[in-house]
Amino acid sequence: MKVSWLPMSLRETLQCACSPRPMAFNRQRILNLRPRNFTTSTRLSAGIAAPEIDFNGQNGGEGSPDYEHVFYARLLPTSPSYFTAQPHFTDDLLALRSLIRRYENLPTVKPGEAPRVAWRSLPDYRDSVGEMVKASKYHKIIEALHRLNHIHPSLMPDPVKDALNLYKRDINPFRNVTKAGHIDSLGRSLGAGRRKASTARAWLVEGTGEVLVNGKSLVDAFGRVHDRESVIWALKATDRIDKYNVWALATGGGTTGQAEALTLAVGKALMTHEPALKPALRRAGCITRDPRRVERKKPGHEKARKMPAWVKR
Amino acid sequence: MILRNVAIRHGRRALAAPLRRSFLRTLTTDTLTHDTSAIDSSLQNQLKETHSIEANINALHLTQSFVPPTSASEPTDAVKDAYAHKQHIKKRTLTLGSIVEEEYVPDSLVTNPPRPEDVTLELLLASQSHLGHSTSLWNPANQRYIFGIRQGVHIISLEETAAHLRRAAKVVEGVAYHGGLILFVGTRAGQAPAVVKAATMAKGCHLFEKWIPGSITNGDQILARCGIKVVDKDDVDITYGFEEKVAEWKALKPDLVVCLNPLENYVLLHECGLNNIPTVGIVDTDADPTWVTYPIPANDDSLRCIQVIAGVLGRAGQEGQRKRLEAAKTGEVTWLPPPGLGKPETEQDRQKAANRVKKVVAKVEEEDAQVKSRRGRLLPSREDDEL
Repeated sequence: MKVSWLPMSLRETLQCACSPRPMAFNRQRILNLRPRNFTTSTRLSAGIAAPEIDFNGQNGGEGSPDYEHVFYARLLPTSPSYFTAQPHFTDDLLALRSLIRRYENLPTVKPGEAPRVAWRSLPDYRDSVGEMVKASKYHKIIEALHRLNHIHPSLMPDPVKDALNLYKRDINPFRNVTKAGHIDSLGRSLGAGRRKASTARAWLVEGTGEVLVNGKSLVDAFGRVHDRESVIWALKATDRIDKYNVWALATGGGTTGQAEALTLAVGKALMTHEPALKPALRRAGCITRDPRRVERKKPGHEKARKMPAWVKR
Repeated sequence: MILRNVAIRHGRRALAAPLRRSFLRTLTTDTLTHDTSAIDSSLQNQLKETHSIEANINALHLTQSFVPPTSASEPTDAVKDAYAHKQHIKKRTLTLGSIVEEEYVPDSLVTNPPRPEDVTLELLLASQSHLGHSTSLWNPANQRYIFGIRQGVHIISLEETAAHLRRAAKVVEGVAYHGGLILFVGTRAGQAPAVVKAATMAKGCHLFEKWIPGSITNGDQILARCGIKVVDKDDVDITYGFEEKVAEWKALKPDLVVCLNPLENYVLLHECGLNNIPTVGIVDTDADPTWVTYPIPANDDSLRCIQVIAGVLGRAGQEGQRKRLEAAKTGEVTWLPPPGLGKPETEQDRQKAANRVKKVVAKVEEEDAQVKSRRGRLLPSREDDEL
């Protein structure tokens, strides 16, 4: 077979293919064959690969004249993750994974029962490492931390504790507890509320259901029935109108604003007396601050959104 | 006839079908009144509920005695004690009972990989290194590594695999012995532990995620922030004297790349070829052996096979490093420093350089003064303008 016109690599392949070596699974023939002398050397110069190393040639080259006066120093990467282009990140991830492997037999808490921890945010981590770590990659670190955090607190090893502390935020927001309300010596609780431009404070005392807003009774203070209902809505929704007295101050804004600011104030004051009412009050809408304000006027508009009338020409 | 047919067609169905509910409802009256009363009561109920649903809920004993859950539960010592007890029992009963001689430990190939001299055809067969791809995916350049065909799948010759693996191990050992930098690459899922272990043993580098294209050909841009250090013949860091040179040094290039999945890393292998960096690669029956300098014909889809090969090469690198350090202890250094690195800068060198700078500055100042004085002599009136 004439193969001289082919490139070197194909030539060798074809020569191999045409060799008398059996491809069929003929046990008898294989057993009768003499042991094949194969070689690992290849001269596949047509590929993209670099040529083989000549270790002997390198040794011969060392006999340079100033061999004695050479100062032996060589350069190495500081981290084995040098070629990942993000060595700090990769080292961190590998360190955490090795910790997981080391302590994987320790008992863990149930999935939801691990102490809640706020891990450092991605920008924060990027700043500390100095590499543009992708969010998906940082998520791998967070996953590893999550697993380590599930080791039972009474058996948490010190290396794991140190590693977790490195990734914790300086302030754990989950340890913040809202201040419980205070009932003073006279049995009053104070609640404050806001709505639109109005501000209101309400003091709640156990009593018989009297309400005074700015020194006036509910009927005098608010003309609309809806507003009167709004003021005591927290008490009404929980069936406690006849169990508390309300003394309230409301300033600013209009009647609706003042009434609904009082809803919030009375609701909060009631929560101080009976904290267990919180879910009921939330469903009744007595704890949520309504953040809506008057929308600002824009240039080119007559009001916030109204456009001037369009005149032909 | 038509009428009779109708009876035949519909009679059976009409007889068999049960009476519909709606008919019953039209006949009886009591069920209707019952329904309306039920609707009425449900309506009232609805109204009642909407009137003060919270009041009903709050009347419950459960809500009145509701205590919000505390976030941090106290760590109890019960789990700790139980764990200690378990460990104690384990320790006490370890020597009891029958002795299990051969035990299969799944990750033993990663934690304790075989040495090049441990490579046997049995080990290679057990790690499935002989299984190639379907014959339809064959790359004919692999003809010489193939033993035969079984059930439409190419079988790689284990003798070839063993021989090529031993040669590759020699190469890795030689590169490590001559102080080269070896990069282990395995970017398929699950290859990371084997890659990292091999790199740790051979004191090389590892890469188990995507190769960033250009890390060799454009390394100065891509690896600019990655740190470099200088070590002496005993691998002890040289901390003083090379700071300026290291800061300006170009990005490092590996001296040997071991690629466990060449098919996905063509770019890497191409860059290596361009920079004359030899490569070792696992070549399955569908891969092109000319992409790598030292092919190892084996199954690159089996993690076990990958672990064996990476482990053997890692061990070879370890052996090379050991030999190099041993030779260094006897005073024989097996490598040459990179051209241009030179000797470390001493304190005297720095003083000399500083003095030279001072001299130059002084000279320049002197010349300036001379020029000024000359100009002042020639044009005394323009001095005010300059100021």
